[in-house]
Formats: sequence, structure tokens, C-alpha cells
Amino acid sequence: MNAIDASEHHQRVDESVPPSLLAIVLDTNPHAWAHLSSTLPLATALANLLVFINAHLASGNGNSVAVIASHSNKSCFLYPTPAPASPQPRHNATNGDVDMNGTADSTSYSVQDNPNKYRPFANVETGILNNFAKLMEGTKESHLTATPTTLIGGALSLALSYIAKATLLNLPATSSTEEAMLAIADPEATHSSYVSLASRILIVSVSGDLANQYIPVMNSIFAAQRKRIPIDILKLAGDTVLLQQASDATGGVYMKPERPEGLLQYLMMAFLPDPTARRSLVMPSAGGVDFRAACFCHRKVVDIGFVCSICLSIFCTSDLPDNLCLTCGSYLSLRAAQSNPPALIPKKKKKKKRVGGTDSATPGGSTPAGSNTPMHS
Amino acid sequence: MSGSDYSGSEFSGSDDEYVGPRGGGSSAAAARKIVNATLQQAKKSERKAQAWERRKGESSEEEEYIPTFEEIEDNDVPEQSIQQMEEERKRKRLRKDTKPFQRGIIRHVVLVLDLSEAMLEKDMRPTRFHAMIQYAQEYVREFFEQNPISQMSVLGMHDGLCIRVSELSGNPAEHIAAILGLRTPLNPQDFSKEPKGSPSLQNALELARATLYHTPSHGTREVIIVFGSLLSLDPGDVHQTIRACVRDRVRVSVIGMSARLKICAEIVNKTNAGDESEYVVATDQELLRELLLATTTPPVVRATKSAEEIAPPESAAALMMMGFPSRVIEETPTMCACHGALTTGGYTCSRCSAKVCSLPITCPSCQLTLLLSTHLARSYHHLFPLRNWAEVSWHRAREKGTKSCMSCLTPFPEVPPDGISGEQQTNGHGANGRIHGKVAQKQSNDDEEQKASESSRYECRVCESHFCIDCDMFCHMVLHNCPGCLSKLDTPAEETNGIGDMEMTG
Ligand SMILES: [Zn+2]
Ligand SMILES: [Zn+2]
Ligand SMILES: [Zn+2]
Ligand SMILES: [Zn+2]
Ligand SMILES: [Zn+2]
Ligand SMILES: [Zn+2]
Repeated sequence: MNAIDASEHHQRVDESVPPSLLAIVLDTNPHAWAHLSSTLPLATALANLLVFINAHLASGNGNSVAVIASHSNKSCFLYPTPAPASPQPRHNATNGDVDMNGTADSTSYSVQDNPNKYRPFANVETGILNNFAKLMEGTKESHLTATPTTLIGGALSLALSYIAKATLLNLPATSSTEEAMLAIADPEATHSSYVSLASRILIVSVSGDLANQYIPVMNSIFAAQRKRIPIDILKLAGDTVLLQQASDATGGVYMKPERPEGLLQYLMMAFLPDPTARRSLVMPSAGGVDFRAACFCHRKVVDIGFVCSICLSIFCTSDLPDNLCLTCGSYLSLRAAQSNPPALIPKKKKKKKRVGGTDSATPGGSTPAGSNTPMHS
Repeated sequence: MSGSDYSGSEFSGSDDEYVGPRGGGSSAAAARKIVNATLQQAKKSERKAQAWERRKGESSEEEEYIPTFEEIEDNDVPEQSIQQMEEERKRKRLRKDTKPFQRGIIRHVVLVLDLSEAMLEKDMRPTRFHAMIQYAQEYVREFFEQNPISQMSVLGMHDGLCIRVSELSGNPAEHIAAILGLRTPLNPQDFSKEPKGSPSLQNALELARATLYHTPSHGTREVIIVFGSLLSLDPGDVHQTIRACVRDRVRVSVIGMSARLKICAEIVNKTNAGDESEYVVATDQELLRELLLATTTPPVVRATKSAEEIAPPESAAALMMMGFPSRVIEETPTMCACHGALTTGGYTCSRCSAKVCSLPITCPSCQLTLLLSTHLARSYHHLFPLRNWAEVSWHRAREKGTKSCMSCLTPFPEVPPDGISGEQQTNGHGANGRIHGKVAQKQSNDDEEQKASESSRYECRVCESHFCIDCDMFCHMVLHNCPGCLSKLDTPAEETNGIGDMEMTG
């Protein structure tokens, strides 16, 4: 479109399929899986997931995978295995992030030299199983009683940073770090100058209410949107509007299967195609999406809300105590709670209307004909 | 708890810690300005030298243009590795102000483009005009990315008049089309608005003022002028117009080209309560882009005396009625209220059920503001920013024994055995290993300079996780979350991103 701009000249056109990085966030919330145990035990789900991961790895040479557990008390990598920290025994050495790493000498599963097994499959499998076992061992009862939900925000943040780093490492060696910086900050500016790593996130979610992590999850959604990373959601149980919005905003697939026991089928049919393949497939669509917001005061779902202009908190009523915002405490004038009138109406008229309408929130106030009923009598 | 965070005294109090073009107008800021002025000469030459570098290095993030007067410490160079210098440079991009400032999230911005003869100058490639058109489009996109519930209008100073390029609206596509139309008209009959004649600041300000006149008082009223000329041909007394702008709470920022003008300085000074840092001069193309994009960050709300006088307290904040419509998919096409076109889906207004094509929008039939709750959430990181992470000394790294980055698992360089390495023992304890003499006094958390870490580790002060430089950049510039804090239940997440989080559950 810009004839003079010469910046698009040396585009490298690479015909090969771009490598694809799949980051899977597995919600391991024990409470939710306990509910599912009759139809889909966690062990079966994990086995299905491993088959799915193998399918993903098999569909491209450059494909890679990262698995992150979103547990009730922490979120951590299941694969690749993080290097354990070895803090010096010191007066001040708290548990820090030691517990999440575990020790490397665990021998519960080791890579068997099975000649019939494709080595990368075996690596991923043992890695995930080992770390998963460690995670389960490390879960104490006190952790379970502490919260009924899961740290999806942390898991998403881990997945996004991992993908960001992998994307950086995937840049051609010729490109300077400057360009890499640019890629971090602004994917649009640098698109198509190299075959980028096609990344996506799959969240296998079983937990319900995630509202307590509203801001972190929202921040993650925007980061994904910026970096063009689709977030796919497979919702086996529970319901959150939040995750549906995540997939909608990032162009991912949202599925809430009726029968969770068919997990593998859903995974293979709906979530295996990478973004390139999806362009030529009919993907399941969410149809209508519920975008209504939850008010901060009662967690009521509202379709018309009142928003504080300072902190953007949403309230279900304009009738706040002392007209003070419940979140930030600023004094809020209700004057502007009514939507601003069209610019062409002179100020005087506006004032008259406001005097006439007793209920400031009544939408009818903006229809001029409605307020003049006494004329008829 | 947070009530005190937002009180006026807090803001004026913290003003002096705030360095940057969007700073408040307190006396401390003024004092700093003097420092700036003395160092300006040095800065200028430095900018020039870096122009080639910026070509690739600039980022369109919401980071602000940071004066770099503190950076040169020549005596330090030999002991730094190339990698450290690289990391240091990267970290300079981090926001300095991670304090939760009250920012004007709902903005009304008038972008005034100079379309006078001066824009035909070829000191930018291919001409100033083309460069400006290109950056203006980028600006619009970035602006609505950062400020989804804000409104914008584009004006042009053309041949002595001020022409309206696009109406005040929240639709980026409209503005971009209109800006492109300046160069290649949409209608073949229209003339393209090639630069012509002289600009008139007075006409521009008057039209901008009229555009902003009806905007609600809880939003900001900003005028951003890209001004290439060195003259202004006004029909009347521009000072009267300035006074009128001050009365109407209009804040003017000017991005000049090639040289500073007295009148621009005066306009900016008067409308920003004595703060002249909003008047900047782009000496080259890259700087122009950088300065323009810097204005996409919501401005800090001034809590100075003069601002209070102008704006009565009750008009500062307001409760806005907004609709959160749901998306509908229809079998048969129906008419949309915004374009009058037949479409098979869209969003229905929560109040009057009119169908609109896109959000955010003001309902064409009942004037209710319609948006997604995600649009509101997009601004939360301005309100609750992620604190900067600290550099990690070898000492500290040994203490924590971290081997790989918390979030991307990249291995860190090995910690050298105790006492052998060329370790700097300036500050053995705590996370801040590298502190240079001058800066050592002001250790208070976020204000200190963002230096490279000798151990290539960066530590979140809250959860004590270690991260690599790339994750540091990513988390602060894009994600605005700390993966470490959010991955542990024990750590109070409220302290980082969670201020609002906590409030919301309550
Ligand atoms: Zn409520
Ligand atoms: Zn508020
Ligand atoms: Zn329409
Ligand atoms: Zn409506
Ligand atoms: Zn990292
Ligand atoms: Zn942290």
C-alpha cells in the first residue's frame, strides 16, 4: 500500500511448514478432578493427553511442546523439567522456589531404552510423568483446604513467557538483538520477515470460578492477543466466562464437550491442527459469546453497569454509599452516569431534562418526546 | 486501604519521584527540569548518535521516552562485558514509574497534523509529510490498543485553515482511513490534502477546543500537535485562545520539528500548569515516531493546585453507565444500526437492542457506551503496574542457587565458586548488587536505575523468583504479570498485580 516505503524488500520466503510450539496448561485442581473421577479419572486424562502430545510432535519435525500444571497451590512446568535450585544453606534461605523443582534423583520413571519407542516421545512421557508424580506427592492436605480453585493466571503467564523466549530463540541468527527486541514489543512491525515459530496455548480446564484471578488472566489474554498466540480452551467441567473470552479474543477454539470421557477424540479433532492448518478447516466456533461483566460489588452478572472513571470498577447500581467508589474511594458524581447526550443538543435543554427525570438511570430520559406528558391534560 | 492511595496528597507527594515527559507540575519537577536543561546539550548530541540505532531498536510499547542523562559512566565500561551492556540497554526501556499513578484512562484526544508547506521538507524520508502520515497511522493503532475506551479526532492545519480530517470517535479504522485519505483521497473527485500554505495554531486550537467542548468532564481533554513549521499565521490573538483552552481544561502537547518555538512553549506551559515537558522537538524521523508513540500512555492526572481550581472536584470522577452487550449470531441478515448495512451477527445494545457491528461504540440509537469488559481490563496495567525487578549479585545468586529462569527455563550462567570471581562486594546483602556510587543513596525500590545484572538474573522482590533478561522485558512490557508471584499461593499476589484483584473479590 505504501509505494515509497522500501522496508518490505528483502523478505525471505520460506515454503517449509513453520515449526509449532504447543504449550499445554493442564488444570490439575484436585477438587475438580475428584468430581470428574467417575467419568474421566485424571490418570486417563493424562494418558490421553500424552497421545495427543505425541501426535503433535509427530506432525512436524520442528514441533515442540511445553506442559504446565496449574495446580491448586502452585503452577509449575511438567515438561521441560526445570533445573532444580540448590540454595546455599543460609540463615535466610527460605523455601523459595525449591519445592517446585524437586530433585533430579527421583527414580520412579526413567527413560527406558525401549528400541520400539520413538525417543522424543519417551522423553516427553517420562518427563511429564515424573514431574506429575512429584507434584502430586508435594500436595499436602493443607494446600487443598486453602483454596478450591487453581492458579490459572500463573500457569498462563509461565506459558506466555516460555513462548516469548522460544520465539526469540527461533529468530534467525543473523537478526540482531535489536530486532529481537522489536519482536517482543511489537509483532506487527516485524511480521513476515522470518518464518516465525507458530505457537499456541491449550488450556485443559476443569475448575470453575476463576474470578479471583481476573486481572492476571486478563493481562495474559492481552499479551497473547498482542503476540498473536491463540488460546484454545477445552473445558471439561465448570464454567467460566473468563476463559471463553480468552479464546474469543485471541482467536482460539473454545469447546465444552458434553461427555468428558471422549477427551482424546476432542483433542485430536479440534485441537491438533495448528494455526496454519486451521485456516483451511472449519473449526468449532463458540457461536454467541457471553460478554457480560460481573459487578465488583456482588459478583452479579450485569449487562448494563456503572463504571468508575478512575479505576474502571464495575458496579451493578449507581446507588453507592456516599457516592464513593467501593474500590478506589473517589467521589463519583452521578451526573455523568447518564450517557452523554448527543453533541448537538444545547446545554439548556439537557438541564431541563435532568430536572424532569427523577430517576437518573432511566434510559427513557434521552427520548425527548417522552418527558412532556403533561401537555395532553 | 487503597482509598489513601488515590488521595490527592499522595499524588502531589509522589510527583517528585516521577521523571519523564508526562510528569506532574510540582516544584520538584520544575527543579528537575533545570537539571534536564543543563544536560540537554549532552542529550541532544547523544540522540543524534543513536539515531541509526533507534531505527531498529525502537519499540511501540507504552514505554515512555526516558531522558538518558544518567547513563554515561565511562569509568565503568571496562569491567562490563558486552552482554551486560546489551542487557543494560534493554532494561533502560523499562518504565521507570511503576508506582500506581492515577492516570486519565478515559481520554479525549485531538491529534493535529501540520499540513503546511514546511512539511514538504525532505529532512525526513521521503518528506516530513509522508513520514508523519505513516507514523500517525501507527499512532492511531497504538492509541486504541492502549486506550480502548478513549476517543480521538484528527485535524489538519492546511493553508491557514484548520480542517477536520476525522470526527471524534473511538473507531481506529475510521481515523486510519481518513489519515490515508490525506495522501490518496478516497473519492477521486476530492483533492488530496498535500501540504500547502501556512499553519495557524490559533485556528487549530479553536477547532480542537470546539471538538472537545462536549466531552464529559471525567475524561481528559488533550490536544497533540505535530508541528513542522517555524511560524504560525493566526487571524487573532492566540493568547486569548490559550486562556480559553486553560479554562476548558484542554492540555496541549506539541511535537515540534527542527527547532523550538517560543509560542509553542508558551502554549504547552500554560495548558499544562507550568510544565513544559510536553513540548518536545523531533530532530529526526525515528525520534518523531518515538515521541508520538510516547503520548499513547495515559497521562498522569495532575493533582496540583491550579488543576483543582480549574476542575471542580466533583467533575474529576464520575460514574459512567456502560452496556456490556453479548454477541449474537443470526441466520438471516439484519440491518446494523451503525452503518445501515445488512449483516448476520453483531452485538445488541443492552438497553435498546439496536445491533452494532463492532465494539467499543456509542450506541447509535440510545447513546449508551457499549463495550466489552475486556476493554476495561486492558487499562488495568496502567493502574496497577508491575514493579521493576532487581538485579541479582553473585552473592545473592549463590544464596538462592537458581540455575534456570523461572518462566522460560533457560539456564543461567554458573555461579562462580565462593570468593574467586571478580565479584563486586559493594553491596553484599540484598538483591541490589551493582549500585554505582552516585545512585547508591536512592535505593528506594523502583526509582533506581535499571542496570544490567552481573549474574544475568533478575529478581522479583515479592516472590524472590529469578528471571532472565528476556523474560524481564516480556513481563514488564507485554505481560504485566509476574509469573513467579502468580504461581505460588503462599505469596500474596496482591502486592504485584493484585491491588485491584484483591479489591474485586471483596
Ligand atoms: Zn453489584
Ligand atoms: Zn474507583
Ligand atoms: Zn455496522
Ligand atoms: Zn442502544
Ligand atoms: Zn526467562
Ligand atoms: Zn514475583
